[in-house]
Amino acid sequence: MRRQNDTLRKFARGKFGHLLRAGIREPALLLYLDAQANRRSHPNENLAREAMELFTLGVGHYSEADVKEAARALTGWSVEEGQFANVAARRDIGNKCILGQRGELDGTALVIILLEQPATSERLALKLCRLFFGESIVPPAAMHALAAGLREHDLDIAWATELVLKSQLFFSNANLGSRVIGPVEFVVGAVRALEMFDPSPSTLALADWSARIGQDLFNPPNVGGWPFGRAWVHTRSMITRANFITALISGPDVGRASPYDAAFLPHKYGFGTNSDALLTFHHRLLFGTDPSADIRRRTSGMDERRTIGTLLSSPQAQLG
Amino acid sequence: MLTRRRFLQASSLFALAPTVPLFVARTAQAAAADKDRRILVVVELNGGNDALNTVIPYADPTYEKLRPKLKIAKKELLSLSASVGLHPSLKPLDKLWQAGHLAVLPGVGYPNPNRSHFESMAIWQTARLDPEEQNGYGWLGRALDPQAGSAYLLGSAVPTALRGRRSTTVSLNRVEEVLLADPASAKQAIGGESADDLLAFVRRQSVDANAAADKLAHLAGGNDGSRYPATALAERLKLAARLIRSNLGARVFYTVQSGYDTHAVQAFAHGNLLEELAGAIAAFFNDLTQAKLADRVILLTFSEFGRTIKENGSAGTDHGTAGAVFLAGPGVRGGVATTMPSLTELAAGEPKMTADFRGVYTAVLEDWLGLPAKEVLAGTFDHPPLFRA
Repeated sequence: MRRQNDTLRKFARGKFGHLLRAGIREPALLLYLDAQANRRSHPNENLAREAMELFTLGVGHYSEADVKEAARALTGWSVEEGQFANVAARRDIGNKCILGQRGELDGTALVIILLEQPATSERLALKLCRLFFGESIVPPAAMHALAAGLREHDLDIAWATELVLKSQLFFSNANLGSRVIGPVEFVVGAVRALEMFDPSPSTLALADWSARIGQDLFNPPNVGGWPFGRAWVHTRSMITRANFITALISGPDVGRASPYDAAFLPHKYGFGTNSDALLTFHHRLLFGTDPSADIRRRTSGMDERRTIGTLLSSPQAQLG
Repeated sequence: MLTRRRFLQASSLFALAPTVPLFVARTAQAAAADKDRRILVVVELNGGNDALNTVIPYADPTYEKLRPKLKIAKKELLSLSASVGLHPSLKPLDKLWQAGHLAVLPGVGYPNPNRSHFESMAIWQTARLDPEEQNGYGWLGRALDPQAGSAYLLGSAVPTALRGRRSTTVSLNRVEEVLLADPASAKQAIGGESADDLLAFVRRQSVDANAAADKLAHLAGGNDGSRYPATALAERLKLAARLIRSNLGARVFYTVQSGYDTHAVQAFAHGNLLEELAGAIAAFFNDLTQAKLADRVILLTFSEFGRTIKENGSAGTDHGTAGAVFLAGPGVRGGVATTMPSLTELAAGEPKMTADFRGVYTAVLEDWLGLPAKEVLAGTFDHPPLFRA
């Protein structure tokens, strides 16, 4: 798993083809998707199906026959002694037809075919937009233009990312607070926002909280990977997010000896430290706006620490 | 029933199309269906439950010959019919039986039975007889895949049965994991309605979450009048009942009761396990009945195999073949739903199955949960009419 993560980090911002070639040979993935059970006499479609559905084309851009043929092309790919191995005895070297391409196609040829499909560039554009933009922010035409640009740039993820991050749309007001923040982002984001660095909470405790909120690092719920957007938000995760914030401001349940000092940041930045000032400071810090009369009313009578906890548990604090 | 809340949720999603991810749109539509409100609770009896002493063919003279030490005397067992009885420790299930809410299914197995714990359990969990076809996904995980649904596991280790390509499992061990540490603060955290669609969605979920946590806290405080035995399984089913009563929305709950691999001195251990099982199931349905939710829930028990019909030299039994399945709940058609296997017409010394477990799964998936079974089980199987309409 660690090696797979290293591979992902190494190739994430390069050309997608390099990532795909390396990623699809990672032992962690091959084992997870039964590659070693995939052989000429008895193909296993798991790896082929997920390579097409999740990693490249997406549903609707290939047929079941393509999946079967792709499985044949991937026969022989396996893991031996923790390393990628291509086992000749298991390989189906016969003629195949995948997405209209014919020949004695093997795994390497399959990857090339997948990279060439326009559907792959469209799906990459979709995923980048999902990562950086809220639900209805990117007009379809813009997404298709991004996909076209990816095709022109050999599926260069760094190029596409730069384009997105320098765009007006990314910085537009509409895009602020338009995405649900996932568990790790929420947990780490809260710690960073409150500048809890000295002492910092235990990272093991934070990982445990993240798992309980729904993101158990290195253990996604299924091969589809992590949920995104609204799928992060349901009863159990909302209860646990609130409980995490309670724990964060109290201290012990995040591995921090002392509770959060509500006056710490305002004092550091030369702000007032009476309760009204604390509320205003933290509201501006988290949301960029002054607290409304309604929030003032709801938090009046609460001690300052709980007031900040209330802000961090609000629906608004789940968006970024 | 399409409530106002559901309509509002659904219409807000349509307003977002075409950029709404397909999976979210599908989930909202699925919520309107009626069978969607039905729930399945699975209790896995791990180790190989001795079916012959659980569902007993007491009128067959062969029974006593096979079990000189372990036999259950006729006057002790719970008689279900002129020929079939239940182990006396299952007495707490009598109320369900009398109400016609308990289906007893002896002889459930599959062709060419495998007596390895690991391999037979894999067969039951994946619904695939051929190990080459067992790719790590299970019958319930696959069944929930089309809606990317989720199941609740009361325990820690996610069983293969729940694993799917897109479905997920939430593991819970204690009710504290779904209670709010600071409910007052959580309540004050939610402001007024918002015009922004996403924010409104998150707000609604927060409101629902607070309501569920409130309800759970109330139930956890023991204010509900439900009584459960002080056993580990009862504790887990109590948690399941509370989750169901708090409207968490999950359709499948799963838990494991271990200890059934009774190779030696079986009588005491087996009796205890069955007592724990029956007590927990009875309390669970009493609880749901009080909450007027029982008609939405059924409970299925299964084990990886039955045990040898002939007791061994250590007053125990070894790995056998077809086993007994139970289905409980008001939605179930009560009765002995399968044929008791013959104790004399054997295959390799053990009884022949009289029902295929995949037929039972088909009934559960299609007739109860309203989920298509054919792809999940890679085939169509005869299924007895196990449920009322």
